[in-house]
Amino acid sequence: MRTTELPAAESTRPRTVVVGSLLATGATFMAFAALVSVYVQQRQQARALGEEWFPSGTVELGPAGMMMMTLMLSVVTVQWAVQAARAEDRPHGFIALGVTIMFGAAVINQFWFVYQDTAFAIDDGRAELLFYAVTGSFIAMLIAAMAMLAATTIRSLMGPFGRDLAHAVQASAMFWHMCVLCYFLVWYVVFITK
Amino acid sequence: MTLTESPVAESEAAAETDGAVAPESPADALGAPRGLAQPFMTSDAAQVGRLFVVVALVMALAKAVIGVLLSFGRTDAVAPDDLFGGLNAYFRLWTLYRVSFVLLVVMPLLLGLALAVVPSQVGARNVAFPRAALASFWTWLIGAVIIIASVLAGGGWGALDGVTGNESDAMALTLLGTGMVIVGLLLGAIVVATTVISLRQTGMGLLDVPPFSWSMLVTAAVWLFSLPVAIANIVVIYADLRGRPAVAFGRPESPDIWLQLDWLVEQPAVYAMAVPVLGIIFQAVGASVDSRSSRPEAILIVVGLFGLLAVGGWSQDYLTAPQDLRDGLVYVAFGLAAVVPVVATAGGVGELVLRGSKTRERLLDARMLGAGAALKLLGAAALVGALRVIEPLDLLETSATWAVFHGVVVAGLIAAVAALGTWSQLLFGPLQQKLARPAIMLLFGGGGLLVLADLISAFIADDPDLMALALDGSIALNGVALIGSVLVLVGLTATLAAVASAVKLSAATASEAA
Repeated sequence: MRTTELPAAESTRPRTVVVGSLLATGATFMAFAALVSVYVQQRQQARALGEEWFPSGTVELGPAGMMMMTLMLSVVTVQWAVQAARAEDRPHGFIALGVTIMFGAAVINQFWFVYQDTAFAIDDGRAELLFYAVTGSFIAMLIAAMAMLAATTIRSLMGPFGRDLAHAVQASAMFWHMCVLCYFLVWYVVFITK
Repeated sequence: MTLTESPVAESEAAAETDGAVAPESPADALGAPRGLAQPFMTSDAAQVGRLFVVVALVMALAKAVIGVLLSFGRTDAVAPDDLFGGLNAYFRLWTLYRVSFVLLVVMPLLLGLALAVVPSQVGARNVAFPRAALASFWTWLIGAVIIIASVLAGGGWGALDGVTGNESDAMALTLLGTGMVIVGLLLGAIVVATTVISLRQTGMGLLDVPPFSWSMLVTAAVWLFSLPVAIANIVVIYADLRGRPAVAFGRPESPDIWLQLDWLVEQPAVYAMAVPVLGIIFQAVGASVDSRSSRPEAILIVVGLFGLLAVGGWSQDYLTAPQDLRDGLVYVAFGLAAVVPVVATAGGVGELVLRGSKTRERLLDARMLGAGAALKLLGAAALVGALRVIEPLDLLETSATWAVFHGVVVAGLIAAVAALGTWSQLLFGPLQQKLARPAIMLLFGGGGLLVLADLISAFIADDPDLMALALDGSIALNGVALIGSVLVLVGLTATLAAVASAVKLSAATASEAA
């Protein structure tokens, strides 16, 4: 038997979709980390000058903590989706993806409450401006992550997950985890240390 | 064969030397888009790469015209106010010239070359995400058009005498365009990096890839670390711009958007454009003299080190106390160390030449000339960059900044001409020596004069003048800068003529074969 008649060997290279998503996720994280570092640096500068950052009592920890808990739960459900996609378990996959998207929507809803509760105007000062810049960017990232999950859910409705779609779920989950990490930064920097 | 007739890359042997073999194009496949639909629907990364190269070269020509006008405005013949209709208008073009040469010319030019060349260098049929490559081109192009239109409408990256309501709207558009351009470039970089990481042929390790592919992998990593920081800057500036009538974020005494983004065109971030230049230099010289390095791993280390020293997101000083950062040890060390990989590259090139075939024709080949010229200009830029960070010389906030900028930008343009010759089969066809050589020499002369004028001005200026509204010191320096700008403009025209001639030659050859 000639070797040319043998089937091609399985590629040992990293999966293309996952690698591409990893790079895109890393770039997005860099942008968000830079934004948070501007926030921290400006707050430090204001405090050094003896200025008040947020008026006391305006930024509540309760809703922010609730959002953190919601996103921690979503970490579990999105991994559940990855596992289900790998195992071709479609019912569990749909439930996990749906619940994760729902958690994302809940966080956006909670942010809406925070905006109403704080009632900041963007031109009040640099603290308020940066508050909206950081949290607004996070919401935009979360919406992108939800869109990625929704797209994989719709694709999976058309048939089995297969290897490619399982990789797509994995890539979406990676982006989701990065969003949760970014919210952890927001939670600690904006809401806890205020 | 006469010089006129001899193409730069004339044989398959040249392509083999570069590690690039022209693959069967996906555009040749049945059902591939043709004609006018091609630029909008193609899934062939080589086509996308060619689109990037052509549009970036046309943009370069337009920016070079702006450069000539700006240089003319610095002479005593006419005041900038009179030439451009006000200081704000001069400032708008001044910033457009700088940002454009980085984001709209050199970066997309090198990215386009990478999209066309890298897949064949790593043994892949196409890039990892062909549609994403096309999306990156259109995102970049639409962003570029928005930038140019908004600057012409009174936008730009700040105003010297305060921002009015109308200007604020146009500036918001400029920021949107800048963001789109950066996203487009990042998308393209991700496509190239993923291709090198995931689509290499079996048996080819990551350290076995040819120097240009390796340099693009390093470049992608540098861009992924640096450009998102600019996006964060843009988000903050945009929020500030929409929130208040005046843009004075953080430092009310400096009402400029520009000061929050100028780190993109200054060292070390400006070197991010030059990382692929090293890869091109090694491959162009190797192809010219038909030799390979005895220490390929050393080339990878040199390119990697230069990439490390080009990560620049951390170096913005607008939001920190001015001078704190740039007088710091890290900034100084980065500036000084950048000379090392360029010197090492010169050593590597010397070894290639010594090991290779040193006939007169090979040594005067446009690829060889281009690689040599790009290396010299990059070396000059790195040297000026090293001088600039030495505190006693007091060059930090002077036109030495623009000497580095001009050196790196023109080195990038020359390297692109050398690359067009080296991988002619994958791009537009064989470049003619009679056009490629003058183009390289004109660009080299122009870039050299610009570096020289900016550097001498930095030394003799009484007051630091980063804007370089006029080159301090002498009329002669202003004249030298003007001549340099004109030479760059003529060199770019010759480059475009060489590309057009190559396309025509290829079409004629194809029709003859048919």
